[in-house]
Amino acid sequence: MRRYHLVRRADAKLNRTLIYYAIGLLVSLTIGAILLWALGINPFQYYGKMLTIGLVGNKYGYKSIEGLLKVFVPLLITSLALSLSFKMRFWNIGGEGEFLIGAICASIVAFNSSGMPNFVTVVLMCLAAMISSGIIGVAIAALKVKFNTNETLMTLMLNYIMLYVIRYIGDTKADWNFFLREDSERPIFGSFPESAMMGGIPLGKFKLLWAVIIAVLLTAIVYIYLKYTKHGYEISVVGDSAATAKYAGMGVGKIVLRTMFISSALIGLAAALAVSSAGTISDTITNDVGWTGIIVAWLSKLSVPAVFVTAILISILQYGCQAAATQYPAIDVNFADLLQGIILFSVLVADFAANFRLIKKEDAKNA
Amino acid sequence: MEYAIELKEISKSFGPVAANKNINLSLAKGEILALLGENGSGKTTLMNMLSGIYMPDSGSIFIDGKKVEINSPEDSGKLGIGMVHQHFKLVERFTALENIRIGMRGEGRFFHGAEVRKKIEETAAKFGFDIDLDKKVSNMAVSEKQTLEILKVLCYGARIIILDEPTAVLTVQEIEKLFNVLRKMKEEGHSIIIITHKLNEVMAISDRVAVLRHGDYIGTVVTKETDEKTLTELMVGRKITLNIDRPIIEKTHPLLEIRDLTIKNDEGATAIDHINFYIRGGEILGVAGIAGSGQKELCEAIAGLRKIEEGQMIHEGESIVGMSPKKILEHGVSMSFIPEDRLGMGLAPSLSITDNMILKNYNESKGLFVDRKSAREEAQKVIDKLEIITPSTETPVRRLSGGNVQKVLLGREIKSGPNVLITAYPVRGLDINSSYTIYNILNEEKKKGVGILFVGEDLDVMLSLCDKIMVICHGRLQGVVNSDHTTKEEIGLMMTGTLNIVNKDGKTDGIAKDSAFTDEEGKA
Repeated sequence: MRRYHLVRRADAKLNRTLIYYAIGLLVSLTIGAILLWALGINPFQYYGKMLTIGLVGNKYGYKSIEGLLKVFVPLLITSLALSLSFKMRFWNIGGEGEFLIGAICASIVAFNSSGMPNFVTVVLMCLAAMISSGIIGVAIAALKVKFNTNETLMTLMLNYIMLYVIRYIGDTKADWNFFLREDSERPIFGSFPESAMMGGIPLGKFKLLWAVIIAVLLTAIVYIYLKYTKHGYEISVVGDSAATAKYAGMGVGKIVLRTMFISSALIGLAAALAVSSAGTISDTITNDVGWTGIIVAWLSKLSVPAVFVTAILISILQYGCQAAATQYPAIDVNFADLLQGIILFSVLVADFAANFRLIKKEDAKNA
Repeated sequence: MEYAIELKEISKSFGPVAANKNINLSLAKGEILALLGENGSGKTTLMNMLSGIYMPDSGSIFIDGKKVEINSPEDSGKLGIGMVHQHFKLVERFTALENIRIGMRGEGRFFHGAEVRKKIEETAAKFGFDIDLDKKVSNMAVSEKQTLEILKVLCYGARIIILDEPTAVLTVQEIEKLFNVLRKMKEEGHSIIIITHKLNEVMAISDRVAVLRHGDYIGTVVTKETDEKTLTELMVGRKITLNIDRPIIEKTHPLLEIRDLTIKNDEGATAIDHINFYIRGGEILGVAGIAGSGQKELCEAIAGLRKIEEGQMIHEGESIVGMSPKKILEHGVSMSFIPEDRLGMGLAPSLSITDNMILKNYNESKGLFVDRKSAREEAQKVIDKLEIITPSTETPVRRLSGGNVQKVLLGREIKSGPNVLITAYPVRGLDINSSYTIYNILNEEKKKGVGILFVGEDLDVMLSLCDKIMVICHGRLQGVVNSDHTTKEEIGLMMTGTLNIVNKDGKTDGIAKDSAFTDEEGKA
């Protein structure tokens, strides 16, 4: 006899959702604590270091903030871009691939920019990345519009294609390959010339990169775009019911192409900002934003302000885990990844629990 | 007395919506019980708990006096309950025999051709079914599919049979046939629950009637001791009149003329086959036909959503063939199509009423931004005028009840001031009160001189509301009849293709004498 079954909750109360998230977080931290304790590390100390992202008692604390922002900016922009396409129910899971194309094209400009003015170079990098990523996004959207291909598969496969392209570039020593260092026997990605480095506003020792300001501005722009413009309206109608959009006389194909161009181009921009801030490229440059961005967009229920907050929290988690892990010889970055995984998983479970409840079946009272 | 089924205090909620509240229901052995209620009153939910699709939140079910627990359709089948769903559950590519065979239990894992066939044939003969066991489901007409569904549950040994709105897709003649089968099943000692909201059918077939209203159990009455009016009052909860007005308006010139129109459906088969008809201002032209006779394709073609293969469509003397949906709309032809799932086309369900109001004209405002301020005012006007029940203009349409959803859709279409209104199934699934509001809205438009194409399902309604009725069968025109000089039976025969009156006895062939076609166009 099945006495229990799942029922969707009547209302989504913010309070309850937050309580469930807190419980999820607590459970995952407890599991992490057991693991840490087994490894002979004081969990409280570790978590302390994690939450303060290595700021406390560190005379180079500003470096931590800079590091955190370098994680935050690409994640925020990618999550915003993915929200755009998800809102249209276009399942773009090719964030990784689109990011890599942008990164590669921005790097092509960067490696060939010696002697050019900094501002011009960075703008050219951004344009190159946006156009190249945008074109790939449009191509996949066009296949969907023309031949009704499955965009999930196409964008997924794109990720692997681009991953192997960048590995090929990174592993192939050849005359044409300006990506690699010339002075090294082994293939290693080179550093960008000074002209391609992201500038910023110095605040004491701390430098607020332009990338951060661009990301914050973009958040506001995407918010207005989705909420108040005709384009945003069209995206919600197409996402809600493509048949209705067609019936209303909207050019559904055009809207899908346009939105995918914007979405992919934004991811390309995130890539250009990331390589320019890092001053180099690598096959791990994406920092998995294409995947994490999906989680951020989903946890935020595609609401732009929520994306902003969630991206901050997840960046702190990511950067904090890494920062704490580097301070203990017993563990490495892999442990940080493991802990992150446990925490994200628990939050997703908590999200489910906040939306559904288990109820017990009752017999009739007079039976 | 021992009952085949007894339900005690059954409740079931979906999120905030209580679909069933403490329902008590009993079905005697060898009885036909009609389950009556407006849409959304919880009939299907209740029956789905008997067939194991849903589980009740509370309450108990007794079968043959024993308390049981139905956790899956399999449990339900073992208890001898068989349900014939509104949407058939058949494998299109299989034959009738294969469809029955796949669900059989206790016959081993392999297909024993001869034995199984014999068993099925015996069952079919016993109840007087006329069915070709080797016909593929994809080649079957709707009524054949339904016969197969019923035969299927009987072959699985069901003694309690539940039919969910079985007559919705049938013609008058087919309904009579179905009722004969049901009576035979009753003679054999089977117990039957039939869900419907057609009162004449309830009176014709049932022994008792159980009435639900908004998820509440209202009561059970013996059919012989009641009448349609009492049942309606039980169902709706207040007294209402059952007359549909048909104001007589002076008809003007033909507004929309369709000449020799041929359209293909999504599969590439001919959906509409060389049809001629026209609509004048100030008249409602009904379109009758069995579901899937090309109604949807016809509406889509007129609205510019579907390519036409051949023929002419003239709106006030100007061809609209090849125009974009937007252009046609600007021309004054507006369509409100209520699909089976109601929200599929015409509305964006997650968006607010305001956002749905501007669906067709959001682009008219200047600049980059959507003008929500005037949209909100328009939404409020439509809400007030059509008495739409909603917490606010910002409520997502999918939270509204069926009738209110349809009012939003019609309200928007009328707001744009069209002179031809195409409306398909506008009262589909609506309760009587909401239906009447919709009829009134349509009559108001008619009085303004709008020409209305009304694609409908219920012949009684069409006979009262429409001035003329055009009947189609498999995409072919069977004739246009005047509502005052025809009968349901005549239309029924035309719907099944038995009777064709085009060009016969001086009846119209669908071409207006004062056509706005020019000579060359007429020939083309």
